[in-house]
Amino acid sequence: MPVVQTEKLSKIYNLDSMPVHALQDVTLSIEKGEFASIVGPSGSGKTTLLNMLGGLDMPSSGSVWVNGRELSGMGDRQRIQFRLWNIGFVFQHYNLIPVFTAWENVSFIMLLQGRDKRAIEHRTNQLLEEVGLGDRKHARPAQLSGGQQQRVAVARALASEPRFILADEPTANLDTKAAMNLLDIMARLNNDKSVTFIFSTHDQRVTQRARRVICMVDGKIVGDERHER
Amino acid sequence: MKTLVILAWKNIWRHPARSGALLAAAVSGLWAGVLTIGIMNGIHELRMDYLIRNELAHVQVHHPEFLSMGYARHAILEHERIMAWMEKDPRIDSAAPRTLAEGMLHSPVKASGVRIRGIAVDSESRLTNFHDNMVEGQYLSSDGQFPVIMGASLADMHNTQIGERVVLVFDDADYMLTAAAFHVVGLFHSPSKTYDNHTVFVRSRDLAELLAGQTVYHEIAALLYDRNDAQTVTADLAARFPEIDASTWYELSPVLRTLLDIGGFASFFITMVIMLALAFGILNTMLMAIFERIHEIGMLLSIGMARARVFLMVLMESIILTLTGAVAGIILAWISIWHFSRTGINLEMFGRGAQEIGWSKIMPVLDSSGYGMIFLIVVVISISASVYPAIKATRVNPVQAVRERE
Ligand SMILES: Nc1ncnc2c1ncn2[C@@H]1O[C@H](COP(=O)(O)OP(=O)(O)O)[C@@H](O)[C@H]1O
Ligand SMILES: [Mg+2]
Repeated sequence: MPVVQTEKLSKIYNLDSMPVHALQDVTLSIEKGEFASIVGPSGSGKTTLLNMLGGLDMPSSGSVWVNGRELSGMGDRQRIQFRLWNIGFVFQHYNLIPVFTAWENVSFIMLLQGRDKRAIEHRTNQLLEEVGLGDRKHARPAQLSGGQQQRVAVARALASEPRFILADEPTANLDTKAAMNLLDIMARLNNDKSVTFIFSTHDQRVTQRARRVICMVDGKIVGDERHER
Repeated sequence: MKTLVILAWKNIWRHPARSGALLAAAVSGLWAGVLTIGIMNGIHELRMDYLIRNELAHVQVHHPEFLSMGYARHAILEHERIMAWMEKDPRIDSAAPRTLAEGMLHSPVKASGVRIRGIAVDSESRLTNFHDNMVEGQYLSSDGQFPVIMGASLADMHNTQIGERVVLVFDDADYMLTAAAFHVVGLFHSPSKTYDNHTVFVRSRDLAELLAGQTVYHEIAALLYDRNDAQTVTADLAARFPEIDASTWYELSPVLRTLLDIGGFASFFITMVIMLALAFGILNTMLMAIFERIHEIGMLLSIGMARARVFLMVLMESIILTLTGAVAGIILAWISIWHFSRTGINLEMFGRGAQEIGWSKIMPVLDSSGYGMIFLIVVVISISASVYPAIKATRVNPVQAVRERE
């Protein structure tokens, strides 16, 4: 069973009563362990698609299933709870709680899940080591570089043990070195632990690393290729 | 939950100046408000004390019909036994019997309606401080024939001076109109002009002689060591002496009752005004904080933080901030009131007027129920004012919030 799957997904925004077809009949299926990128020019509907996959926004028509459950059938409260346990998020901006340290940001999501305190501590340390921030645990976001912040966000996304992680242009604000470093970490997690990543980008450097490249133009999927890397 | 409290606490210090301003407003508002209430209560205490120590005392005994009818024949029959009982009761400081009549004061110039208070000079001067109000001549004593003292303003109206005679006219116990000449021996000046213009004092035995040809008392007033005993002393008197009516100062004086009610209302009002002002501060500060943090709240909702938790987070942030300030303000006020209740606030700066009416120093007071009421209002209003921003925060749409804005 795919971890996430869409069927004729459409989204129409009404801008000044001018309909904008942000997504048109998108049918897509992503299996566990994939490292999939969604590419396309700005305005092609990447963010809209990721928001649908993550249950942040509701489609105008069509359906999204996560692990066999249809998202639009859930109520708001249920959907938030579902996101907490099933989907990890890495955003382009505003990822972290600025008043919390890296360590607190990562452990926070597990506290929301109500996990055991000892287990949380152990797992938080382990995850921060894994993203190479074992020595920056007690730094606040403002004291971290953009790349380090995104690594904390990846650790936080992993912490809840989701079925897949959605990352909307995670490298857009990073320089090449930091972007490659982040991708290395994501690729390694995907390789070693079969963590499923779905990320959007319009950055060639990033696309080259993906094992699957889904290409979007004007709200439609115009290409879907797999690469051995 | 603990994490939410920590998060709320840390969020407060994101803008130290802004939070500090609200905190300072809460501290100073509550401090000033509570201290004002304490001082107001202190002034009321002085006025109450004044009324009680000038005439009212704490407990009064009458013939059951005297207060409504006021005839000379409605005298207290058992006055000796009652006085004896009062002398033995450990709660009672002192007691004094009084002979009372309503009548007219005649002088060659005019006639005025007056209350004639016949007092037992020795016990009355132990019970009340009225003798401190004398401004000319002497207080009543056992010397001389038919002495009378009256308000200086009344004497002025009658163009009467010390040493001259006035005539008092009143109904005796058999409803017979009686008149007698009295010698003016002293003039007083109390804080109430109305009182001065309508009250004269004579010796109880002189008045009783004229009223009934024997000892009659219409009122026995008792001063207690602790005014809170008034209720029980009254009840004990009523039980022992079923023929009389016993009342507390609170029942007897509409002025004091009103004073207490107004005091209570004013305290409530002051607290409400301060808290409503503070409520706008809370709303303003918190809405600003929410607005700035829309993206962050959207992120929290996106990663799976329940809206109820977001609500609690903002509510706690707001309540911690306000309650910390308000409680600090109340504690500061409590310390100030405690300090001034020992040293007193000197009224000299308000000139001689205050001293003339017997107010030397204000001792601010606020009892625990007063603090309780203020605290309750503080809690209710801070929570109410925090609810709206908290609801606002739960309404954030995660999609809007996480979308970049360029
Ligand atoms: N909230 C919105 N209201 C109106 N139009 C929107 C809204 N969000 C996105 N759009 C439009 O939908 C289209 C797709 O946007 P988006 O998914 O953000 O593209 P991308 O992420 O690929 O840049 C764009 O034309 C954009 O202007
Ligand atoms: Mg986008």
